[in-house]
Amino acid sequence: MIEAFRVGAAFSKGTLWDGLDLAFDDGEVCVVTGPPASGKTLLLRILRGERRPDAGDVVVGGESLYRGDPGPGKAFRASSGFVPESFSPTACRTVRDLFRLSAVAVPGVSARERMEREEELLALVGMPGSQGGGLSCLSVSERARVALAVELVRSPRVLFTDMLLMNAGREWTDMLGGLFRALAREGKTIIMAERTISERWNTMEGGQGITRGPFRLFRLPVATEALR
Amino acid sequence: MKPVSLCWIDWKISAKGMLLESAARFFMLFLVAACYVAMLLSGGMNRFLSGQWAVTAILRVSVSVEEGQGIAGKAAELPGVRSAAYKDPETSWKEFLAVYPGLESLRTAGGNPLPGYVDIRMRPDRFTEADIRAVEASLRPLPQVESLLSGGEVLSRLLRLKVWVNGFFWAGFGLLCAVVFLALFLQEKTRASLLSMDFGFLEGRGIPAARIAFSRVLGAVLTGALLSLAAAGAVVSCFFILEERLAVIGRVIGPAGEMLTPPFLLPLGLFLLASPLLHGVASLLGWRAAHAGRK
Repeated sequence: MIEAFRVGAAFSKGTLWDGLDLAFDDGEVCVVTGPPASGKTLLLRILRGERRPDAGDVVVGGESLYRGDPGPGKAFRASSGFVPESFSPTACRTVRDLFRLSAVAVPGVSARERMEREEELLALVGMPGSQGGGLSCLSVSERARVALAVELVRSPRVLFTDMLLMNAGREWTDMLGGLFRALAREGKTIIMAERTISERWNTMEGGQGITRGPFRLFRLPVATEALR
Repeated sequence: MKPVSLCWIDWKISAKGMLLESAARFFMLFLVAACYVAMLLSGGMNRFLSGQWAVTAILRVSVSVEEGQGIAGKAAELPGVRSAAYKDPETSWKEFLAVYPGLESLRTAGGNPLPGYVDIRMRPDRFTEADIRAVEASLRPLPQVESLLSGGEVLSRLLRLKVWVNGFFWAGFGLLCAVVFLALFLQEKTRASLLSMDFGFLEGRGIPAARIAFSRVLGAVLTGALLSLAAAGAVVSCFFILEERLAVIGRVIGPAGEMLTPPFLLPLGLFLLASPLLHGVASLLGWRAAHAGRK
């Protein structure tokens, strides 16, 4: 479980937001929406343990990410995945290079196993057989989906995505929703930051969501029965 | 679960670039090793001068061949002496005629006018004024020795010149090492900059930057050790092969067989130790410079 207590963020001209209380259970699919420049990416970074909040704390599984021992923070970052909004790969890199790089951070995965998972995941995000393609030649949607597949190869316990739905495009919304629900049923937590939530998605909070500072928080129903 | 080793991270994510870089490094190390081996074997000017210069002990005319050979044997045992050869009066006369042809008439007056002599050559590493004077001091009291020729004032000037030339050679070698180190540093810095996004990707996935940096240093040290060993091996082999084909190599630089003796193997071991360490230092400095540029 990820809990943010009274979290605040400031920037040079003042306070961005303050006193945010958020909680994300294991096996949940959550969407945090907010207007442009409201600090969605910053919130994800704080929740991931990458950027110390200016106020408050984030606790994962009962351990603080920012106070005392830095070990839990490092371990949490290692076990979580992150699909960034803008993905700027090193020039001349191919999709396969990115998978290889991602696999460096995963202990105990053989090259053969990695390649099998590569193929499966690329097929899942609609890009089968694209391993040899250069990243710089991909469209925004393709890059976003490749970035997702690259994160999934490590089987992260928690997956953070920043503007993934918007970058992937409307035609991929339902597929990604289904994928995230399936992952949540395996006990994984998905936290997405988006400008708006897709009107095609049912949420547990209805169309309005829960207001937290400048953000609205939505939870997607995960259980199979709930989808019927 | 056992963490993944990042020692070969650069090879994993940039194999082609690393291959090209390693080839360039091998040639640079080959050049350094060749210069180092040549300097160690030749001692700069020492080997050449010790081959050209001799201390000559002119013996009295009355000295017999056996006495002359005895004196040569004693001279050969003196510290710093590489060889001492006795030349009898007849050999002496032939050498004289080879230098001054047409003076055969000098002999008709009353036999061979030239005495025998002992030709003494110093070891290259003991070709110093002190060692030459010590040899002279050992031979001068002998009643069979008429006079000693070792260059006098010219020798002192030549030895001073030798010190300067050797210093110049070593300074050139030091400069070469500095240039190679600079090239290593620039290679490391460029690579760390080019791969900075990849390293950022790994840092974002919970791998600390310090672990990446020190793993890369370890990888650089291991790569440096392997390349240095290969370069040193190639240089030693080349000397053995070239010595057979070019006799001048043996005369000016030295016999390749000397490379397998302890006084030579020790400094070669130092090279094999220092080179990987410098690779590691270049990797760390390159990483820091690339990171400083990113901030």
